[in-house]
Amino acid sequence: MSYLSVENLSINLGEFALKSLNLELDQGDYATIIGPTGSGKSILLECIIGFFTPEKGSIILEGRDIVNDLPEKRGIGIVYQDYALLPHLTVFQNIAYGLRKIKKNIIKGKVEDIAASLKIEHLLNRKPGTLSGGEQQRTALARSLVVNPRLLLMDEPFSALDPGTRKEIRQLLCDVIDKKCTTVIHVTHDMKDLWALADKAAILRQGKIIQCGAVRDVFERPVNKFVADFVGASFWEASVDAKSNGITNLKLGDFNIFSKDNAAQGEIVKVAVRPEEILLYNAPPDNLNGDNLFKTRVEKIKCEGDVWAVSVKIGDTKLLVNSTRNMMSGLYPKPGDTLYARIDTDHVRIVR
Amino acid sequence: MRKIGWFEAVLIVLPIFLTGALLAAIISLFLVPTLAEIWESLLSEEMLFSLKLTMWTSSLSTALVFMVAVPTGYSLSRINFWGKSMVKAIIDLPIAFPELVLGLCLLLLFGNPVLQNFFGRLGFDFVFTKQGIVLAQFFTALPYAVRIIKSTFDYIPPRLEFVSRSLGYSMFETFLKVSLPLAKSGLLAATIIAFARSIGTFGTVLILAGGSYMQTEILPITLYLNISYGNMPMAITSGIILVIVSFIAILIFEKSEASI
Ligand SMILES: Nc1ncnc2c1ncn2[C@@H]1O[C@H](COP(=O)(O)OP(=O)(O)OP(=O)(O)O)[C@@H](O)[C@H]1O
Ligand SMILES: [Mg+2]
Repeated sequence: MSYLSVENLSINLGEFALKSLNLELDQGDYATIIGPTGSGKSILLECIIGFFTPEKGSIILEGRDIVNDLPEKRGIGIVYQDYALLPHLTVFQNIAYGLRKIKKNIIKGKVEDIAASLKIEHLLNRKPGTLSGGEQQRTALARSLVVNPRLLLMDEPFSALDPGTRKEIRQLLCDVIDKKCTTVIHVTHDMKDLWALADKAAILRQGKIIQCGAVRDVFERPVNKFVADFVGASFWEASVDAKSNGITNLKLGDFNIFSKDNAAQGEIVKVAVRPEEILLYNAPPDNLNGDNLFKTRVEKIKCEGDVWAVSVKIGDTKLLVNSTRNMMSGLYPKPGDTLYARIDTDHVRIVR
Repeated sequence: MRKIGWFEAVLIVLPIFLTGALLAAIISLFLVPTLAEIWESLLSEEMLFSLKLTMWTSSLSTALVFMVAVPTGYSLSRINFWGKSMVKAIIDLPIAFPELVLGLCLLLLFGNPVLQNFFGRLGFDFVFTKQGIVLAQFFTALPYAVRIIKSTFDYIPPRLEFVSRSLGYSMFETFLKVSLPLAKSGLLAATIIAFARSIGTFGTVLILAGGSYMQTEILPITLYLNISYGNMPMAITSGIILVIVSFIAILIFEKSEASI
């Protein structure tokens, strides 16, 4: 029995519907939900916390269905993109807001503890209106964490912050969550959140979860073209030509590709390759060690700061490659040039 | 100097002209009688009676309006129920209604023998009585207060209330701890407008409570009665008091509006 299980959750809002959605989390899991805008991420969170009533389905938290409980009885915390601090209270009063029926000095201790771990202890007497965005969000996080919620929901908590602040808060949050072992569902558009914080990732599209699993799995083994595009992987259908010595030979259009993953001969399978696991060369390298090597034509090159996104074609098949600046500097490719792409057979993944 | 187009010129001249005309009309109120006449009227038995009655009926009706308008405004702002737009339209109706018609409707309703009998047993009688004044003022002022309070709550992000509830506060506790404190200046504005509106209620009071001398005589009635007797200083003095009270009310209102 999972800690949280959302079962067959359905809601119909006219133009939009959640369709029989399922989601399972274990205690202490940090799950991220990603998906295009309008896919229902916020609505899912509002259902779990109780501001939207689903038409069907159940939300079982610690073995009890809470779908008919009032929001204040659920013990679920929420953090929004716009902080939602109470403007008439000080930072201290905001953080202490959920601590009730506890002795004054204990409240003080708890608030000071959490404020210290989020580095806002010097702001406790200020009003939220006088704080920077990052300080406000740390206050909002402190407010929802100090009560030790059974489940913490976050709806794009860092979207309004600049990258530097984001990184800093991510780190602080990570430490607090690790210490408290809070179970979290975090909606985000920023893949960095996934890598820095999450154990699990779920991909939502048009009110349905189409893949849910460990973050690495979702990135390395997207179940369909949509997820692959979303996480930036190349994705093809292929048929299994032959198998030998633990290597599967896959036929993919006008060329073949080798994989260490298993599949039966004649089977039609899906193949995914991560762009950052491909190496590019000017000339075929000597020592291939059994890796795949393809002669490609460069289509497009784009510098994205720390990485170069190179789009190449093997015959008519498009392949995305992410390369570091360092690796690119020896190549200086232009569109139309020929480059050799090398892919380890370990990195050619067969998805089911 | 910068050139200005004809439309911009109209936009500047028109409000100045309007304000000037209005101001002139108000000032003339203060110029007609002598100070001695005003003083004498102010201390007359009739004026003191009217002033006292106006103050306590208006205070009472304002308190009642407040108690009803706060939950009503909150409900209209936050809760979706069947027939809500109808309810909103009907509550607002007295704003557009002639006061006399509102008075007549209330008279017919509360003058209905069955209802009059029922309220009589509870110790209430609204027809041609001081209680009637409060009732008339209440219904006249209510829609203004409800409007202001509803729009005040509209401005408070519901997320603040959601967060409060997620932290264990019931809907009512959240209302007390979050919604009300944040609506403070709107509530003040609504109270002031309700009070100003109550003090100035004439037609509704005249029909429901009757405008009888030293009985159900509030300031607007004093003004009206004395005009018909030809006693200008008394009429003008009640006018001056009404103007001063409204002016103070508007000043406070503008201030509280600015701080919303
Ligand atoms: N109260 C409502 N009634 C009807 N439709 C709604 C309501 N609230 C949201 N929707 C619709 O439901 C869809 C999903 O909304 P939701 O806010 O969950 O998207 P999201 O995945 O959070 O998007 P974003 O990434 O932009 O925040 C949208 O198309 C939205 O227009
Ligand atoms: Mg959203």
